[in-house]
Amino acid sequence: MSDAPILSVEELEIAFPGRRRHQLIQAVDQVGFTVRQGETFGIIGESGSGKTTLGRALVCLMRPTKGRIRHFGADPFVLGAGALRRHRRGFQIIFQDPNAALDPRMTILASVQEPLNVARLGSRRERQRKAMAALDRVQLSPEMAGRYPHEISGGQKQRANIARALVLEPKLIVCDEVVAALDVSIQAEMLNLFADLQRDFSLTYVFISHDLRVVAHIADRVAVMYFGKLVELGPATALMTAPLHPYTKALLSAEPEPVPARLRNRERIVLQGEVPSALDPPSGCRFHTRCPLAAPICTAEEPAWRELAPGRFVACHFAETPPAPVR
Amino acid sequence: MTVATTGTAGALLDVRDLTVSFRDDAGWVPMLSNVAFTVRPGEVVGIVGESGCGKSLTALSILNLLPKRGCRRTGHIMFGGRDLVALNEAGMRQVRGRQIGMVFQEPMSALDPVFTVGDQIAETVRTHFPVSAREAKERAVHALESVRIASPANCATMYPMSLSGGMRQRVMIAMALVCEPRLLIADEPTTALDVTIQAQIMELLLELGQRTGTALLFITHNLGLIAESCSRMLTMYAGQVVEDGAVEAILNRPLHPYTAGLLESLPGRRAPKSRLSSIPGRVPSSRDMPAGCRFQPRCTYAIAPCAAPQNLRAIDERQVRCIRADALALAGSGV
Repeated sequence: MSDAPILSVEELEIAFPGRRRHQLIQAVDQVGFTVRQGETFGIIGESGSGKTTLGRALVCLMRPTKGRIRHFGADPFVLGAGALRRHRRGFQIIFQDPNAALDPRMTILASVQEPLNVARLGSRRERQRKAMAALDRVQLSPEMAGRYPHEISGGQKQRANIARALVLEPKLIVCDEVVAALDVSIQAEMLNLFADLQRDFSLTYVFISHDLRVVAHIADRVAVMYFGKLVELGPATALMTAPLHPYTKALLSAEPEPVPARLRNRERIVLQGEVPSALDPPSGCRFHTRCPLAAPICTAEEPAWRELAPGRFVACHFAETPPAPVR
Repeated sequence: MTVATTGTAGALLDVRDLTVSFRDDAGWVPMLSNVAFTVRPGEVVGIVGESGCGKSLTALSILNLLPKRGCRRTGHIMFGGRDLVALNEAGMRQVRGRQIGMVFQEPMSALDPVFTVGDQIAETVRTHFPVSAREAKERAVHALESVRIASPANCATMYPMSLSGGMRQRVMIAMALVCEPRLLIADEPTTALDVTIQAQIMELLLELGQRTGTALLFITHNLGLIAESCSRMLTMYAGQVVEDGAVEAILNRPLHPYTAGLLESLPGRRAPKSRLSSIPGRVPSSRDMPAGCRFQPRCTYAIAPCAAPQNLRAIDERQVRCIRADALALAGSGV
């Protein structure tokens, strides 16, 4: 293992052209973090927070507008087209919708084998053997191999997608809302499978989800995104038990708990309003339009991203002051 | 088959022996079997279960929004002294929207893209009340205001596509509540929304329900939402009600192994990174139902007598479809 982290992101910005001329939509804005080999790095955010755009950029499916993404210390975007394609085998992504990623006209085996064919790795027989091994690894029986996507369940399709990512023996897998569409008991099986695969293949995960409970369960460290920016980053347990940013607090309190009333956290912060328009981002701190702590300084000045305690980063003007009483 | 029901007297909605079958090449396949439950006036009742257990079909059956052909509905759905199963389409149209409102998961598919939001709500009003177009418009704006839309008059002139998901769901709620129905059926109303928006919508639904005395039948796969908003819950499995009782009692000690399994598989119940428990296997296909207890093939507590069909039976104030319910001490989420 080299000393450089498997993934590092520095001052990353990704912008899309808007509908009008010269209009830019800043999907990811000044994001920076590193991911260590073998860890699970969680990213939490609501729709429109830029988490999927960020996830795609991490595996080179999207080019940054500004800033750097490094894999083992090297910038993959300087590679030529062929070299970048080869490099990308080590950095896979799995998406939320298990249907969208599987070709309805291909059998499960053919879909899982496809990445090997594209990469022209090994003989045909070897490719098939590898694909079958990957299916076995995700606990899909050999009889599933000959089926078509419409003949299997959502959970099984998601397993096929995992197998498809595994055949190229990646080092890092970005999992974008991979369990969001599944029922709880299937979701539990899938989270167990992710843990097993990580142990067996020493995988590194970037686990993107809107579900705090899922991320808290699987991740070592968690970053919280709001409107294209990181607002908080820290060890999963610390962040869940003692959040520093008011947005993290609101997210935690909004998550309904399936426990008897006496065990429930009564302090509920219901955020008013909705995520602001991407075309017209708020000044200062982007969360100020919905923040229960907002003060004049929040509209005027953008809070600095700083390390408050070892490993705990936050961007809020009031992170140092003891938690003010919430409305 | 008769099943024990508690408190049918004074019930607003009393579903008895509801069986819904669909026809396929091989004959009639029952998708709901002898579903029975009640909703009292003003009560908030939740239905949980995995996909394909019949939650949404139960809602659609109550409203008779089933396909006209290849579908058979038997049993009784008593609502306000009438049996909705016996009611013809014209009679049903009087009930739907006026007495029973509905909110679905995907607001975009329930709203018409070529009419403004205000026109659509006004149309609902004029369908059920003999009021002028102007009065209907006013009621529509008022309904939008009641779901806390910041500028209701402006919103009324907008088309669904220019609204966000959370706003669309508010519009759906406004439309469902504008006629002040006695029962609101909400089928996964917040599943497509972000958690901070979900919190807003749930708060709104419960508050409005309370204010107008509307009972709420709330269908969701999210046990957390049930825990926080319902007083009673039903667990459905493979087209049957397998457990029915007070939410607090069920969370403290579920009586059916399936309910316990659902609670158990949620992340957050155990130490981070530890192994999550799951329910082995899948919901059986309706064509291929196990002969006895339908949950038996997946149940870790199954014994020989489970091979016989199980009835819903009363234990204390609750009902459960499990032969071992008294003997098992299943763990709830309270430990």
